[in-house]
Amino acid sequence: MSQKPLLQINHLKTSFRIGDEYYAAVDDVSLTVNENEVVAIVGESGCGKSALALSIMKLHQPENTKIEGEIIFNGTNLVPLTIEEMNKFRGKEIGMVFQDPMTALNPLMRVGQQIEEGMKNHLKLSKEEMKKRAIDLLDKVGIPNPERTYYRYPHELSGGMRQRVVIAIAIACEPKLLIADEPTTALDVTIQAQILDLLKDMQKEMQTGIILITHDLGVVAEMADKVAVMYAGEIVEFADVETLFTNPLHPYTRSLFNSLPSAEHVQDRLHVIQGMVPSLKNLPRKGCRFADRIPWVDRSAHEENPEMREVEKGHWVRCTCWQHFDFPDEAEVKSYAIT
Amino acid sequence: MSLPQLKTEKVEIEQEQPPTGFRVIWRELVKDKLALFSLILLLALVIFIYTYSFFLDQEEITKINLLNIFSPPNAENWLGTDYGGRDVFGQLIIGARNSLTIGILITLSTSLIGITLGIIAGYFGGWVDYVIMRFVDFILVLPTLMIVIVFVSLVPNYNVFHFIFIMSLFYWTGKARLIRSKTLAERELDYVAASKTLGTPDWKIILFQVLPNLSSIIIVNMTLNLAGNIGIETGLSYLGFGLPESVPSLGTLISYSTNPDVMQNKWWVWLPAALLILVLMLCINFVGQALKRAADARQRLG
Repeated sequence: MSQKPLLQINHLKTSFRIGDEYYAAVDDVSLTVNENEVVAIVGESGCGKSALALSIMKLHQPENTKIEGEIIFNGTNLVPLTIEEMNKFRGKEIGMVFQDPMTALNPLMRVGQQIEEGMKNHLKLSKEEMKKRAIDLLDKVGIPNPERTYYRYPHELSGGMRQRVVIAIAIACEPKLLIADEPTTALDVTIQAQILDLLKDMQKEMQTGIILITHDLGVVAEMADKVAVMYAGEIVEFADVETLFTNPLHPYTRSLFNSLPSAEHVQDRLHVIQGMVPSLKNLPRKGCRFADRIPWVDRSAHEENPEMREVEKGHWVRCTCWQHFDFPDEAEVKSYAIT
Repeated sequence: MSLPQLKTEKVEIEQEQPPTGFRVIWRELVKDKLALFSLILLLALVIFIYTYSFFLDQEEITKINLLNIFSPPNAENWLGTDYGGRDVFGQLIIGARNSLTIGILITLSTSLIGITLGIIAGYFGGWVDYVIMRFVDFILVLPTLMIVIVFVSLVPNYNVFHFIFIMSLFYWTGKARLIRSKTLAERELDYVAASKTLGTPDWKIILFQVLPNLSSIIIVNMTLNLAGNIGIETGLSYLGFGLPESVPSLGTLISYSTNPDVMQNKWWVWLPAALLILVLMLCINFVGQALKRAADARQRLG
């Protein structure tokens, strides 16, 4: 596996304006995606996964968003680029697969035209060549009878088929990096597996790097090489997939795994993480952001300014509280219950 | 036991292409007989009015002939004459042509302004939206009718183009608001974001992605507006603030009925014009409904 960094995010901070103040939805995120590597970003709703993806693509409303830090793609920092300059990267170098195939396709354009859109912008091809390529792509993503589907409208296709078309659009110009923002959330389980297989095949064939955004740990285990766990806008743990699944360290990661139903032993009730994700406005800006949700851990266990530390090779954890963390027994949890 | 051999002959499936553009509209019209009839009637009327008025001499028709006032329909004057002895049929044809032309031109100019500004405001949002919408609000609070009336009485040599200009100045605001609100909803959909991720510039997204998705609402709005604008023109002419009497329109003909005697006893002066307006508006609306269904795949009949 090549280790050339494709995308390097350094101390990225994306803030949204609420009223007159800016609140950081993505805070101090550093991440590296190498060529031909799948990096999964996991976290619960509202933790900033999608905001991170949109920051890389620069799809935010410019006047209400502030992006600080560096996003270095193949040697170019994307953050200061204008929209016109950014358009050279969009589609050609970085592709994006959207969550909901129902809305990601233009209902009034034929599938074929939509696949050709990116090619029109970036590749100099004749009409026939584009059509041939579009049909090849449809074939590649496993759509039966691609010649016919080329002329179809999105409403004539099922959800799984549409998601295949969305993938075909994203890979039309063979981007080096693919951002998949919860690509399987809107699909049912059997189709999910097919779409994941498809993404994996495409990745192997075209050697793309993939940023896979999801909240499904099953998907992560299936697809990813490396995993970043996000909580409240920060990455709290980063490791390769085996390390993270066998030896999770950060209390949040461990709580997440603890909340999964297990096939090995029957549980009456699943473990629940105390409290709620704080809203963007009420995020604790100082100290460990997860501290409030593990009140039984002594305050002194947390760092004042938690930083990412390499605990073992390639395994990064934020804050020192993991060394002192253990799950309490039932009675103890109750006594700490947040009211 | 062996399984029966299945026939594995390859059957050529005919690749039927889904219908497009005019074929969809045509299928819709064939399904909706009323709309088809309306379209044929409308086209026949429009063609007849425009070609026939070409052969009529407006000077001749608007010339006053006091020896022949209020004559009922006869072989010479098919629909009789008005209080100036002028041929009503000739006035009807020329008036209908004027009203239609004005209606169409006002619709086109207001649509051009309204759609352009509305889509820009809705798509870009932010301060662009703010400036355009405050401008729209400003125009909306102006007393339109009064300004039109003042304008009409102030401008010397008032003619058709002045009328179109002053109408276009005020009647684009509703359309701009409608288009803006639809664009606001449309630009949030993922396909716009998806298009951005493919590196498509904004103007292309506006023209080729957002605009087609608004086409159904634009078509319906334009047809209804066409009928409405003809109505506004006739209404103003009826009140005496539309076109001068030397330029006949459907409204000037109907305005003769303000005289109770004409209203009750000289029906031939105003009734044909009133009926023509009714027929034109109904036809336009029925065709508009069919177009609306054709533009939206979910509502199609055919």
